[in-house]
Amino acid sequence: MRVILKTRPRAKPKIPIEAEEIIPQNFLRRNDIRVFEGNKERALDDLFFITTEGPAVSPDQVEVILTGDTGVIKRVGEYMNAGRIIVEGDIGMHCGNFMSAGEILIRGNADAWLGREMRGGRILCEGNAGHYCAAGYRGEKRGMRGGTVEVKGNAGDFTAEYLSGGEVTIHGNCGDLPGVEMRGGTLVIGGDCSRPCGNMTGGTCMVFGQAHQFLPTFRKNGIEDTVYAGKHCRMNAFRGDVANRGKGTLLVRM
Amino acid sequence: MKIEDVVCSFCGCLCDDLVVEVDGTRVVSVENGCTLANEKFLGDHRLKTPIRRSGNSWTKISYEEAIAETAAILLDADRPLLYGWSGTFGEAQSIGVHLAEILGAVIDNTSTVCHGPSILAIQEVGHPGCTLGQVKNRADVVVYWGANPVDAHPRHMSRYTTYCDGFFRKDAFKERKVIVVDVRETESSNIADEFMKVNPGGDYAVLSALRAIVRGKGDIIPARVEGVSREQLFRVADICKSAKFGAFFFGVGLTMAPGKNKNIRNAIELTEELSRHTKFTISPMRGHWNVYGSNEVFTWISGYPYAVDFARGIAFYNPGETTSVDILKREECDACLVVASDPGAHFPKACAEHLARIPTIQIDPHVNVTTHLAHIQIPVAVAGIDAEGTAYRMDGVPIRTRKLFQGSYPDDLVVLEKLYAIVKEAKG
Repeated sequence: MRVILKTRPRAKPKIPIEAEEIIPQNFLRRNDIRVFEGNKERALDDLFFITTEGPAVSPDQVEVILTGDTGVIKRVGEYMNAGRIIVEGDIGMHCGNFMSAGEILIRGNADAWLGREMRGGRILCEGNAGHYCAAGYRGEKRGMRGGTVEVKGNAGDFTAEYLSGGEVTIHGNCGDLPGVEMRGGTLVIGGDCSRPCGNMTGGTCMVFGQAHQFLPTFRKNGIEDTVYAGKHCRMNAFRGDVANRGKGTLLVRM
Repeated sequence: MKIEDVVCSFCGCLCDDLVVEVDGTRVVSVENGCTLANEKFLGDHRLKTPIRRSGNSWTKISYEEAIAETAAILLDADRPLLYGWSGTFGEAQSIGVHLAEILGAVIDNTSTVCHGPSILAIQEVGHPGCTLGQVKNRADVVVYWGANPVDAHPRHMSRYTTYCDGFFRKDAFKERKVIVVDVRETESSNIADEFMKVNPGGDYAVLSALRAIVRGKGDIIPARVEGVSREQLFRVADICKSAKFGAFFFGVGLTMAPGKNKNIRNAIELTEELSRHTKFTISPMRGHWNVYGSNEVFTWISGYPYAVDFARGIAFYNPGETTSVDILKREECDACLVVASDPGAHFPKACAEHLARIPTIQIDPHVNVTTHLAHIQIPVAVAGIDAEGTAYRMDGVPIRTRKLFQGSYPDDLVVLEKLYAIVKEAKG
């Protein structure tokens, strides 16, 4: 089944929409999906033109397509556990929060907290991601725990904060402190970043561009070889963060 | 008439030893106050009556009219923002949170532009703090990091640290060592025993290096870390480790430097590491008078200290998303109530521009920059001068402020209670 949600014009288009109920399994049987526009609760069809094509007997067979002015829609795909969501443009904050299975494809840019604390599944963002991509909520001790997040563009500050499992790949540059408080999983940064992996205790981070303002509390641990984008790369290996008794691995291209 | 033991209502020190002379409804003189306190008590730029913008001019309106129109604007909004709160007392802040809940609004205080990152760090790793009294009586090493108390908290050093003798520090000026860490020389660094000049944005690395040294892993520290020599880092670590009681104070120079809450987390973890060797504590240098109180009051009622979003009827908190600067920059909110603050003077230009585009109402005694962005302003009594209530000092100690004279203005509480009553009746 394919569900196409096209945004309706709104009098106040900057007011965010909170739409955690936009997940494939909810379109299988329910017709009472509710969303919030600011402090007003709305029916889904108050804000979207809805088109449904074809049948489905399980959430795996449901594909939700979001089009129009989607950059202010938050929490799409929250707790998603099956099926597929395709966002034709940009998407708002918290896309794919806590998702455990399924796939989200974003053709534009994603705002902050993409894939926050996700457990499984796959997110592919063809544009740029905002701050706290694949990170944890405020005060949370564990961020993303499983699954994969791939961003073809750049990501903002604090990418993969508290990463505990799964794999995050940013093909472009990252902002400040990617992998901060990281404790597991793998973070791959294709471009440049600054101060990677502050306070990390575990996991592996690979930086294939420049690591600016490299922190003084990582201990040199030899040289390793790895492959990125089909190319053989020689990497400086470090262990740390020593300030935090860390046993993480940080690889930076030579 | 001279009134003794008056509590100052300017900065987070809440100095409670001022002597204020009052003549009728006018403050004539202030003793014991710093320059900032004198300006606060003797300043006279108060708005006389409520005003409403009419084109390029202002029209005087009654309090009832102003409050009714404010209620109508807030009730009509889909994403109202209630911002400020640090310059008023706890009882008024409490009504503000209830108003936000009933409106489905976002309520935020000035922590968003000062020590919000400190709160985020404390939520991650806790707060090994203490009262200023403990510091005064015990501390023999005081660290000011990213703070300039001589200019911003002028009596902090004379009441609690460098120049103030304590129960166990009979000759404080000689006994206490003061370490100042900043990106430039300041009035405070000039009187420090040790000044550590850090490159802008380099605080996180320096804190990490100090943690490693205190842990006995100093062998990996390079010759220089963000402008600070290895020798100085070891010297500062030794001073801290050999303290009998150390007190670490940090200001917005650390909270708002790149890394923000992670800088504070690193500083807290350094404090914890030092406490394996001696007793060390850490405290924020809160700037706005009762900003600590706004964090307390918001937390009692909603569970969160600032940036609380009631849009869905329950409290949601996510600084970076629900903080005023972010909401205004994204042009989300469609009405704003400013209470006891001046965002027009402190927020980025894009935020001030949005405040000017939407209906903004200000409840504040004075004409300030936000007045020029506002649609309505309602003047009120000044907390601690002609209004009384409870405020919190920067170390979390609640102090009751007194009314020095009976003025003609209603206080924040009276205005907000009237506003709340109208909104509650409309909401049913």
